[in-house]
Amino acid sequence: MPEAKLPDSKLTARNVDVFYGDKKAIDDVSIDIGNGVVTAFIGPSGCGKSTFLRTLNRMNDTIAGARVTGQILLDGEDIYDRDMDPVALRARVGMVFQKPNPFPKSIYENVAYGPRIHGLAQAKPEMDAIVEKALTRAGLWNEVKDRLTDAGTALSGGQQQRLCIARAVAVSPEVILMDEPCSALDPIATARIEELIEDLKDRYAIVIVTHSMQQAARVSQRTAFFHLGKMVEYGDTDQIFTNPREERTKDYITGRYG
Amino acid sequence: MSNTWKNPDMARRIARRNAAERRFKALGLGAIVLSLLFLAVLLFIMLKNGLGGLDWAFLSGSDATDASAAGVWGAAKGSFLTMVVTLVLSFPMGVLAAIYLEEFAPRNRWVDWVEVSINNLAAVPSIIFGLLGLAVFINTLGMARSSPLVGGLTLALMTMPVIVISGRNAIKAVPPSIRTAALGVGASPVQVVFHHVLPLALPGILTGTIIGMARALGETAPLLMIGMRAFVATPASGINDPSSVLPMQIFLWSDEIDRGFVQNTSAAIIVLLVFLLAMNGLAIYLRNKFETRW
Amino acid sequence: MTAAVLLAAFALGAIGWFVARARARLLYAGRESMHSMPVYHAWHLALWVVLPALVVWGLWSVIAPPIVDGVVLASPAGTQIPTDPVQRAAILSEARGIAADPSFIGFYDQSSTIAAPMRAAQARFGLIGTVLMALAALAGGGYAWTRVTGRFPARTRVERAVMLTLLAASLLAILTTLGIIGSLVFEAGLFFRDVSPIAFLTGLHWAPANAVGDDLNANFGAVPLFWGTIFIGAIIAMIVAIPLGLMSAVYLTQYADRRARKVLKPVLEILAGIPTVVYGYFAALTVAPFIRDLAASLGAQNPSTESALAAGLVMGVMIIPFVSSMADDAIAAVPRAMADGSLAMGATKSETIKKVLLPAALPGIVAGVMLAVSRAIGETMIVVMAAGAAARLSLNPLESMTTVTYQIVQLLTGDQEFNSPKTLSAFALGLVLFVVTLILNIIALRVVKRFREAYE
Repeated sequence: MPEAKLPDSKLTARNVDVFYGDKKAIDDVSIDIGNGVVTAFIGPSGCGKSTFLRTLNRMNDTIAGARVTGQILLDGEDIYDRDMDPVALRARVGMVFQKPNPFPKSIYENVAYGPRIHGLAQAKPEMDAIVEKALTRAGLWNEVKDRLTDAGTALSGGQQQRLCIARAVAVSPEVILMDEPCSALDPIATARIEELIEDLKDRYAIVIVTHSMQQAARVSQRTAFFHLGKMVEYGDTDQIFTNPREERTKDYITGRYG
Repeated sequence: MSNTWKNPDMARRIARRNAAERRFKALGLGAIVLSLLFLAVLLFIMLKNGLGGLDWAFLSGSDATDASAAGVWGAAKGSFLTMVVTLVLSFPMGVLAAIYLEEFAPRNRWVDWVEVSINNLAAVPSIIFGLLGLAVFINTLGMARSSPLVGGLTLALMTMPVIVISGRNAIKAVPPSIRTAALGVGASPVQVVFHHVLPLALPGILTGTIIGMARALGETAPLLMIGMRAFVATPASGINDPSSVLPMQIFLWSDEIDRGFVQNTSAAIIVLLVFLLAMNGLAIYLRNKFETRW
Repeated sequence: MTAAVLLAAFALGAIGWFVARARARLLYAGRESMHSMPVYHAWHLALWVVLPALVVWGLWSVIAPPIVDGVVLASPAGTQIPTDPVQRAAILSEARGIAADPSFIGFYDQSSTIAAPMRAAQARFGLIGTVLMALAALAGGGYAWTRVTGRFPARTRVERAVMLTLLAASLLAILTTLGIIGSLVFEAGLFFRDVSPIAFLTGLHWAPANAVGDDLNANFGAVPLFWGTIFIGAIIAMIVAIPLGLMSAVYLTQYADRRARKVLKPVLEILAGIPTVVYGYFAALTVAPFIRDLAASLGAQNPSTESALAAGLVMGVMIIPFVSSMADDAIAAVPRAMADGSLAMGATKSETIKKVLLPAALPGIVAGVMLAVSRAIGETMIVVMAAGAAARLSLNPLESMTTVTYQIVQLLTGDQEFNSPKTLSAFALGLVLFVVTLILNIIALRVVKRFREAYE
């Protein structure tokens, strides 16, 4: 089991197992996720990459029967500690989902909802500023600034996904988890999201799960390969794709299975 | 072989089968027409007997021994007070229970019992709820007989399961992606429900509530058990006063020998049906307006 | 008085809400300066004001009345009243009435003499109660006030209270079921102390009016009631409702185009929305005389106005939409591929429906019919108004016949003392009705569930 350490690590997982009922979905994963880089999780469907991603902000808590053992530290704090409020955690570790899932509210309200429940703005002008900044960072501001009161669900798929990214960015998270964010989008929208990830990576630690090896190669600096619930290999993206150490990684990269 | 399908026997056979097909279709249409005919006759007879009696004196008067002086206002007010009690109790309780069962309940035997209990309560004959009201509210707790309070409590117990079931369906119809989205920006589970799920499920819950209330408004049997059949000449002024309700007034008048009460009974039925049709119409409108959100 | 005090408690809570929010806002210095948003501190404090006050009020309204009675009895006027506990309770109750409303006239003279001390004692203890409530509210509010700090998890606490409320609401359903079972079993138990259950369930003679002294067992035989219920609800009504409901569903799902379906279905549903008392009146006013005249013209001797046929017929019509929508669901659950297979072989539509769709949907339809029967036998108003009071075992639908629900109404709406076997027998009948409908419902719901799973 290769254990990859990074000097500047934001999230640290040690010996993490995840169970759904009696079934072990993740088996003994240890990984360090760096600040200011994009980390990609790749692997065949059902390998556990999404499951593992969801343990990083405790979204698994919402699934009945899911159980996590081992240790996951955010800046040295155990996120599964009894004192850790999952609500506060999710404000620090934001998430973007596979299918764009805007709230059936206006564009403005979609972005403002998170800052409002976390009390990030005292007055309307402050909230306006947060919304504008988030939408700008998500590369959506120029497209929607004249119709902030339109329904978020009325946007195109790619715009909806960028709205969801703006929504995550609005609460100023430290980490952004992306669960196959482009799988429901066309190639042009996908390209926009990938550019966006590139722009965002300096400010946040970004973890992206993808089933597309090309995408992982394009957007990430570090890549972890998952197979059958285990993390097989973790390293610099270049090294994983050009010179994988493990036989299984090589088989997957070269398209033998998956 | 090939002329099997062309010989006259076969042609006759196919013609016979097509005739059977037409007969079957006509039978289906006939079933619907017959049912609707029954409805039409019922409505026609009520309108024929009752329209003449619908005037201001009838709408604003209360029960009296003289048919021409009797009116429906006292009973309508009793119905109103009873429905207010029913709504105030069954709506919040039903919605809260639906939220709990759909969003938070753990999977265990207790929760299974609650579910079985609710599904069965929705199908228990209404008269049984009347027996419960009589035994518990009147005989054990000593509440006022014939009062809108006891009537409303009894009907609330009967209506709550209806609201719970429709509420659960409405909550279930809210896509899970909305929940994960809200959780993802750090909303707590309670915030997810009250900020996102409940507002989206509300039209569905309201539709179910209106249908449940319409059922309660037309209900007579349980109220007979708790004594809401008293002759009440002055409208109730509060929920503890003896009172009647619209369907009960219909029942009481239908028993009168005096021919004049036939008109009164039918007129009261028209009043009741107008209310019920309005409620059901509102429910259908709500359902159609908010049906296709995703 | 009570309403004013309760209102005051809520008003206090509202004030607390604003005060706590203002205080929390002062502490608030942006992100992560506090665990919870100010509004949660507001709710936390408001709950701590209102709930203790309500608890004290609840306790006090249990504790205070006996103390008030004791004080009144110890007063000079109170020592004059009789010591017999029944009389004493009656006089005290009348005095309470007079104290609340001076125009109230009591049966006992003494009740007016102790009305004044009663009113004084009530006022005094009411005041004490109010003060205690205020203290509880202030104490609760004071405690919560000390918790308005940055680190206090007010949101978690408030959400826990919300969860408890949700849980309590869903337990109400179980409580209702237990209440039904408890009250039916208890009252029926009293009845079965006097009448043997075997005589009740197997006896052929029902005449509660004659039931006095030793011949209780002979006059509480409920079989004629069971027969009347089954004959009207499960036989006559179903003969009407099953074919009509089933054929309506077949037409609506298989033949009608979308537009027709959109109109016809809701119109058919109106039949289900008409109150049963209206059906009952229609049955008594129109259908029953029509059937009587028809029977007379066909040569029947003295046909009765009230007949099992009239009640069953109207009940059947009422059930049509129910059977129709259950059959509709059952047919819709059959996979399209099945019907396509039959059609592709050259079967006509009606052949496909009869040979493929209906057999495949049969379990769902049977379950629907069971639920319909359970409704029909529990139906009250139609039989009360159209079926009659005569408990007889007969196969002639033109005769008047009585049912379980009819008898429950009869037994409980007269003026009789409460614990007589006659009154209690209504609860025994209710228990039988509850158990039978429960069994039908449970079996039917289980069949429906398994049927749906089979095709999913």
